[in-house]
Amino acid sequence: MIVEGTYALPGSPEAIWDLLMDPEVLAKAMPGTRRLDRVAPNRYEGTMGVGIGPITAAEFDLVIEVTDIQRPLSYTMQIDSKGRFGFSRGTARVELTPDGAGSSMRYRADLQVGGKIAGLGQRLLDSVSKMLLRQGLEALHKELTARLT
Amino acid sequence: MTGRYFGESVLRLEDAKLLTGRARFVDDVSLPGMLHVAFLRSDEAHARLNGIDVSAARARTGVVAVYTADDLGDYWQPGPLLVPPPPIPGLVFNTATQGPLARDKVRCAGEPLAMVVAESRYVAEDALEDIVVDLEPLPAVTDLEQALMDGAPLVHDQFGTNLAAWVHQTKGDYQAARAKAHRVITRRFAYDRGIAAALENRGIVAHWDSGAQELAMWDTTQAPIPIRNGMAEFLGLRESQVRVVAPFIGGGFGPKIMMFYPEEVLVPWAAMRLGRPVKWIEDRRENFFATTQERGQIHHAELAVAKDGTILGVKDRFLHDTGAYDPYGLTVPINSQCTLLGPYVVPAYDSEFTAVFTNKPIVTPVRGAGRQHGVFVMERLLDFAARELGMDRVEIRRRNYIQPDQFPYDHEILFQDFRPLVYDSGDYPAALDKAVELIGYRKFIKDEQPRLRREGKHPGIGIVSYIEGTGIGPYEGARVTVEPSGTVRLSTGVGTQGQGHFTTFAQIVAEVLGVEVGSVEVSTGDTREFHWGTGTFASRGAVVAGSACHAAAMKVREKILALAAPLVGVAESDLVVAGGAVHSRGDPAKAISLGDLARKANPLRGAVAPGTEPGLEATAYFGPDRGNAASGVHAVIVEVDQETAAVEIKRYVVVHDCGTVINPLVVEAQVQGGVAHGIGNAFYEQLHFDRNGQLLNASFMDYLLPTALDVPTVEMDHVVSPSPLNPLGTKGVGEAGAIPTGAAFAQAIDDALAHTGIEITEIPLSPGRLFELIDHATGKST
Repeated sequence: MIVEGTYALPGSPEAIWDLLMDPEVLAKAMPGTRRLDRVAPNRYEGTMGVGIGPITAAEFDLVIEVTDIQRPLSYTMQIDSKGRFGFSRGTARVELTPDGAGSSMRYRADLQVGGKIAGLGQRLLDSVSKMLLRQGLEALHKELTARLT
Repeated sequence: MTGRYFGESVLRLEDAKLLTGRARFVDDVSLPGMLHVAFLRSDEAHARLNGIDVSAARARTGVVAVYTADDLGDYWQPGPLLVPPPPIPGLVFNTATQGPLARDKVRCAGEPLAMVVAESRYVAEDALEDIVVDLEPLPAVTDLEQALMDGAPLVHDQFGTNLAAWVHQTKGDYQAARAKAHRVITRRFAYDRGIAAALENRGIVAHWDSGAQELAMWDTTQAPIPIRNGMAEFLGLRESQVRVVAPFIGGGFGPKIMMFYPEEVLVPWAAMRLGRPVKWIEDRRENFFATTQERGQIHHAELAVAKDGTILGVKDRFLHDTGAYDPYGLTVPINSQCTLLGPYVVPAYDSEFTAVFTNKPIVTPVRGAGRQHGVFVMERLLDFAARELGMDRVEIRRRNYIQPDQFPYDHEILFQDFRPLVYDSGDYPAALDKAVELIGYRKFIKDEQPRLRREGKHPGIGIVSYIEGTGIGPYEGARVTVEPSGTVRLSTGVGTQGQGHFTTFAQIVAEVLGVEVGSVEVSTGDTREFHWGTGTFASRGAVVAGSACHAAAMKVREKILALAAPLVGVAESDLVVAGGAVHSRGDPAKAISLGDLARKANPLRGAVAPGTEPGLEATAYFGPDRGNAASGVHAVIVEVDQETAAVEIKRYVVVHDCGTVINPLVVEAQVQGGVAHGIGNAFYEQLHFDRNGQLLNASFMDYLLPTALDVPTVEMDHVVSPSPLNPLGTKGVGEAGAIPTGAAFAQAIDDALAHTGIEITEIPLSPGRLFELIDHATGKST
């Protein structure tokens, strides 16, 4: 599953970089995140719960590793989540470019989904991912706006 | 043999039990102290198993045992190779069978990793979540063509290739035939996977009686006797210590053959080890992964034809998807290879296939067992040839039929039963004529289709032929006993999954013994009742087991006559066996009932004469020399909505030849059910795997089955070409309805949308896929 697009964020890349690496902010960008801790400089662990179609409360253990860091312009997240309903793993590439007073964020995630969520939730996976992404980006925007002022 | 019962539409004797909920299925078996099993299955399609920690699961309240591959010790063995490859020169076969629990590597999603035994299924399933598995994902291979490319991930490292098998069979000189051809029709054809989707999933209950030192096993198997023999061997027991019961089963369709599935092998082992009955019932989602599937093939085929439409030769190169393992050998692709020849004279044939390992569930026969592909390829090639030659579709078939006076007809290649592909009998032109007549082919082409087209509709007709090789050996047996009550007890070893065996076998015996059909009590699928035989597959129940029932009944009849002659006081030749008694032909009042005769045959005093046996009982066996050739013609009229790609089936006609018919009602129900299966296969049912081997539609929400609204009542007629290969003259019918459906459907759609130039070369279709193909044909997309 590939999810990609661009989204305008408040603040220059330099201004928002540290916030994007803040687990509290990152958690906001991923709806359903129940806990997310920075366990090493570029490694996060936590849990998240999402509902996809007939699977109403799938809980996943989540590990995110940030690699390929070109501060403040780009980074890659290695995402690995596992739970009783299956797994999701892959990479998400994030690129920031200055855009006026703010930044334009270009993202491209290539995720592999397996297990029950793939077999039972497939029909809804696409629409649920898009919905979660939109919610996440809006929440991220709000959080950044609040923290920058 | 025709008479009072044989050949009549006797209502099914088992239906009263089935319809009133008194038929016992495996899930109905409940024993005191019974434990329940759940399996942890791999979410990954291809991964290295680096470790598995079951300690938390073992500690959970209510969990009795948790087993991984390591816990099985010496009991961990790769499963048996069920069907070794046939003796075809040059054949290559790489054997890879599945162990009961994954040990080093998983090769398809759903492969079992651990077995939890608990006080209830709830606890067992909860405990699955306590298990921590370290699976290191590997790149997966799901595409048949990519699997054979250099650098493709290897399903089985030891072979250095994903090639599972290679077989080349030829007849005549294809190159010479091609050189003489007026036209050569060349196409690529694809057929994809579905599931059998039986009403009842698989299930096993096992009980070790330590006092009697006996293992009882209730199993949804089509082949209880091979399962008993195998389990005895695996568990180190005598065969007589193991009883396998295959009770009523809600549909077999092939995947319930003697697979020795991991669950089948592990549940009895756990029952013996734990000293308590153990039960596992497959749930519907598991069925999408844990039960075998069928039908992925890609063919590159060509047909060399003369100007008048005469077939000069066929060349076919195809890939067959065997999935992650190949325990069932080459039955499916060899069926494809043989069935392609169909009812036609094909002077030259050059067919080569490569079976391919993929990270998908195991492929074994599912109703049709590879025959679909052969029929689809051949019938489509004939359709395209007819189009190019400007011939009528019916005429090109008629021109190439093997004629009724050409039997036995030798196709000069080897069939799945390791015997030469020789057809025993048939009358293909007669079946075609009947089908053409019944569906009104000429009138449809001449009047109805043009009229409907003028109304803006898109009607189409399809008409195709097929052969179904049925009734293969090696043998089956039966025992017939007349009891003092007058009841006749008939026991045979084949399992039954809804085919009507309780009725058709009773009809055969009732006819021979002159008793009411309802007084013949049939037992099938219980190794304690009868323990010689192979099983229900290859449309062989009525042919092979039916012939054994007949032979046993004939032996009992001889005993009846010999015993009754002195008692009635006339010669054996003057005796009539009818109405549950034996009487003198000249004086019907001089009679003795079979029940009384049975009592006299088992005396408490006196002496049983030397050279005779007590009781009115006999056991007999039947093994056909080779399989026989059932055949038929399917014709369908559809209407296609070009905007939505919805297809409505207006009429469906089947003219079928299964030789002598024992019970027309049962035959017609088999055909109707088969057509439903075929329609599902043609237009609804397809398993979608992503490139990582994840099944994307593992539920009936997304895997579409045809409903009663989608399946028309099939209009049927019969041709009867009795088989000379068995005393009853019967041929098999179990798979026939499902075999040519895709080919008929494709031809009808091509015909309906002829103005677009569409060519259907793949099955299954779906409205979505057909929509794309229509767009492609009309140039709206590329």
